[in-house]
Amino acid sequence: MLLEIHNLTKNFGGLMAVNQFSMGVAEGQIIGLIGPNGAGKTTVFNLITGVIRPTAGNVMFNGKDVTGNRPHTLASAGIGRTFQLTPLFTEFTTLDNVVASYYLHPRSSFWGAFFNTPTYRSNEAYVMEQSLKILDLVGLSKVKGERAKNLPHGYQKMLGIARALAVQPRLLMLDEPLGGMNTDEIVFTMDIMAKVRQQGMTILVIEHNMQILDLCDHVVAINFGQKIGEGTVEEVRGNPDVIKAYLGEQNAP
Amino acid sequence: MHIKSFLNQHKGITSIAILALLIGFLFALPRLGLRVYYMHILIGVFIWIIVASSLRVLDLSGQGSIGHAAFMAIGAYTSGILSKYLGWSPWITMLIGIGVTIIIAFLVAIPFTRVRGIYFTMVSLFFGIGVLAVNQVFSKYTGGYSGIGSIPLLFGYNKTPYYYFCLALMLVCLGLMYRLEHSRIGLTWKAVAQSHTVASSIGINEAWQRILCFGVACTFSGVAGVAYTHYYALLTQETFSFGTSINVFVYMTVGGAGLFAGPIVGTSALIIIPELFRHLKEYVPFIFAGILLLVLFLMPQGLAGLPNQIRRWYEQHSKKTKPAEPVDEVAKRAA
Repeated sequence: MLLEIHNLTKNFGGLMAVNQFSMGVAEGQIIGLIGPNGAGKTTVFNLITGVIRPTAGNVMFNGKDVTGNRPHTLASAGIGRTFQLTPLFTEFTTLDNVVASYYLHPRSSFWGAFFNTPTYRSNEAYVMEQSLKILDLVGLSKVKGERAKNLPHGYQKMLGIARALAVQPRLLMLDEPLGGMNTDEIVFTMDIMAKVRQQGMTILVIEHNMQILDLCDHVVAINFGQKIGEGTVEEVRGNPDVIKAYLGEQNAP
Repeated sequence: MHIKSFLNQHKGITSIAILALLIGFLFALPRLGLRVYYMHILIGVFIWIIVASSLRVLDLSGQGSIGHAAFMAIGAYTSGILSKYLGWSPWITMLIGIGVTIIIAFLVAIPFTRVRGIYFTMVSLFFGIGVLAVNQVFSKYTGGYSGIGSIPLLFGYNKTPYYYFCLALMLVCLGLMYRLEHSRIGLTWKAVAQSHTVASSIGINEAWQRILCFGVACTFSGVAGVAYTHYYALLTQETFSFGTSINVFVYMTVGGAGLFAGPIVGTSALIIIPELFRHLKEYVPFIFAGILLLVLFLMPQGLAGLPNQIRRWYEQHSKKTKPAEPVDEVAKRAA
């Protein structure tokens, strides 16, 4: 298992946002995390990536206990993520967003920049080249000079993914990558996710749009902070608890 | 038209040529018979440009400081006191002064950068006032209110060497700041300023980057401080007061904090223009305030952004007739 979560719990005052939640992510898979609004999906993401600290439970990444680590250490450990709402450096151009995300590989050195060393210059050229490649992959080369805040919504989402890819993660965590996209964009995004998986990356994805299930190897359903179902796509689709959570009591078989 | 298209094609070369001409002109000024009084003013401009630009470096990481002169004071007083009371060479004490500024800046940065935005600004204000208080407590050495005078000079009483020294110092500092800003380090600082959550999600140690930025900015401020000491030879409570910090902030903002040239243009304008109206004496603050208000209301990008603003305004007005057409077509099609 690349990522293992044991009994993760988060308590906001009296509200149990996440309660005794456990799941595992195997290397090379695409795992879906689904659930109705307010189920605690994003909280789980934030707990894994260290944005907030869990009340109890632990997170193991790559065999190491990373519970409560700061976000930047988790990023250097190999977790890349996108955000649902504020995914970008809005003042930067598309290209700069990706270039800035290459902070770790290779690491930008202060003294190198200060004295303009040959290593620094070759690193800089390498980063530029790689960033353009990533923009090509996600189809944003044509808007590389635009400011991120002026991009249409679908492009902004794609740029969020491009940014997370620049971290060169082993585990890519996508928070509603398809949210607000049109049909063409959805097909395109799912295509990229498939491509990325082929390169050996593991993907954990939160989504409302059930089209994503076509791509998932394994699905975990969550409601009121608790796991209500888990298994292959078919198993979860047929799970009465999941149907109840989405459609209500009466429609459950 | 030929010239215009040439300029458009070789934008990089043209701007370098203009810059070289400007620097050459500044270096040639003393030989062209610049009056000593104006030389004195320009030396001040060079020093304050370093301070205002260093404040802008801090601003890159989203940290606005109104206590920046305090770090200038630390460098200035360290160097001044050591050279005066211990009789060391100013060249050595200047290096020590910069070193002390670096150490204090980084030590102070660790607690200070834990707060963001307006809270950081407030903390910086308190630090500025705190340094002044320390200045009074140790008035035996610092002179307190009346200040410390007859600090050893760097080059004697002729102003020309100071002019060249401060000009060269300013160019070196500006060069380094420009390089940093346009490197990936500068990009990282700007990223941190925009969103610390996104920045840390891509592996940026956000706290450390803000400490680094603070340390670098304050170091440049200290560099300006030591140069100040051994030229003016007099440091008083007034020199690095809260008002000074505010002045530096105003230089940066009026020039345009978003542009590298901003603090340079702002400092030059706000020191030189009031100086030109010196014979009006008590009305000079009104001129200062007038420039401020004009810029705040009419130039959102500051003085340095004015050429861009004019160009955009010109483009908009020359195209004014065009956008109406497609609307007509739509109307026709609808009918």
